[in-house]
Amino acid sequence: MKDLEVEYKSGQLALGRMNFTLPEHGIYTVIGPSGSGKSTLLRAIAGLLPAYQGELLFNGKSLRDKATLVGLVPQNYGLLPWKTVQANIRMAMKIAHRSTESKAKQEEGITRWLTAMGIPELAERYPLSLSGGQQQRVAIARAFAILPTILLLDEPFSALDAITREALQQLFLDSWLANPATALFVTHDVEEAILLGQKIIIMPSSKQDSPVFVDNETLFGMQHGEKRDSDEFFEQMKRIRKVMQEKW
Amino acid sequence: MKKRKLHQVFRLLLVFFCMNVVWYIAYLLMNHPILPSPLVVYQAMGELGGRDLALNVGYSLMRIFAGVLLALLIGLMIGLLMGRSATWNKLLDPVVYLTYPVPKIALLPVVMLFFGLGETSKILMIMLILLFQIIISVRDGVKSIPDNTYDVLTSLGAGSAQKFWNVTLPGALSVILSTIRISLGTAISVLFFTEIYGTDHGMGFFIMDAWLRLDYPEMYAGIMLFSLVGFVLFLLVDLLDYKFMKWRN
Repeated sequence: MKDLEVEYKSGQLALGRMNFTLPEHGIYTVIGPSGSGKSTLLRAIAGLLPAYQGELLFNGKSLRDKATLVGLVPQNYGLLPWKTVQANIRMAMKIAHRSTESKAKQEEGITRWLTAMGIPELAERYPLSLSGGQQQRVAIARAFAILPTILLLDEPFSALDAITREALQQLFLDSWLANPATALFVTHDVEEAILLGQKIIIMPSSKQDSPVFVDNETLFGMQHGEKRDSDEFFEQMKRIRKVMQEKW
Repeated sequence: MKKRKLHQVFRLLLVFFCMNVVWYIAYLLMNHPILPSPLVVYQAMGELGGRDLALNVGYSLMRIFAGVLLALLIGLMIGLLMGRSATWNKLLDPVVYLTYPVPKIALLPVVMLFFGLGETSKILMIMLILLFQIIISVRDGVKSIPDNTYDVLTSLGAGSAQKFWNVTLPGALSVILSTIRISLGTAISVLFFTEIYGTDHGMGFFIMDAWLRLDYPEMYAGIMLFSLVGFVLFLLVDLLDYKFMKWRN
């Protein structure tokens, strides 16, 4: 069993000293009050922060190593408006894999992922003509299509209505089960954190405190549809609320 | 969709026809050789030799294309540099700021002194007219692309060339196209000025030559043709806009 080792230390106020290790292949949800640095953590791992102190390691190697592929799903979907849906995915694949993959294989991958997201008919459309839910499906398809080692999601469903959100949570879990990357999922929704996470990381509001890890294996093993009605769900909800009251 | 297009073409033709009617009335009222009737002008246009015409139009187009291309190349490079790097922007901003208000057409004698009367000075003048507008619009266009547009590419480890082709250029393209559209009118006027000296070809030469020979119908025919060339260039920019800006709808 390989381990994902993430050590993050920053003297800056944006994010207090953090030091933790997560096992590879799992979904870890991150919740925290605004300003607690959950997005900063994600941006650091994604390589979007020019300077940070400390080390970010994946399997003992630096995260900035070319071999570690990061699939990012930002809150604003991050699609380029001047490229069609398939061109957006194709571009990500080209950048991620250089030219190691054949064209036919790439095209097949695009169609497969769009079909998995239930939107094969949108391949030729431009992002501006799509609804928020459709755009987010494209963004998720793009993130999975590059077969990432690390998957980063920054409040991906927070701008969507409840029904779309639930459908996309299900889609996300199914896709993840087929391609279990190491996923870090930032959300401000406690329910979502419990429904999707294998472990839940609660960021404290004070930069001096260290984050709290709540194990969520029992719920993670259940069918997605049954989670919400189970006793464990309510237990977990209570447990997390208690931590939130103490730390926020 | 197709019906609307046809409607538009029909409207354009109608306006063109009305303008000719106004022209004809003015001709009747003036009754003087300096304003010939539109019919005479169109007849003169028909009598122009095909080879001669192609040569004149071709020379003019070549000068415009060379000038626009050169301005685009240099303007894109400087504009991108200023848009992407704060240091370069600080360094070059005063330069652009100070040189922008200088009326470029006033530099015509200077350019002629330095580069002679040949093609170089003509193309350089067109380039000078366009360059500063392109620099400023590219810089502002690049700056207006939100930083997070680059996030997904950065996280994938994209190089600066990949970011340029996938984000910066398409993001700034709409501003670049509208700048070209606006400055094209100026470029055509400048082209006329540069073609009245040191050349035996080009639309400007053609018009001035007819004027000197007191051949007014041919002079007006030249003006009409020159306008037509400008119109076709505008259509070309519209076509580019349609092709590359599909995503906005």
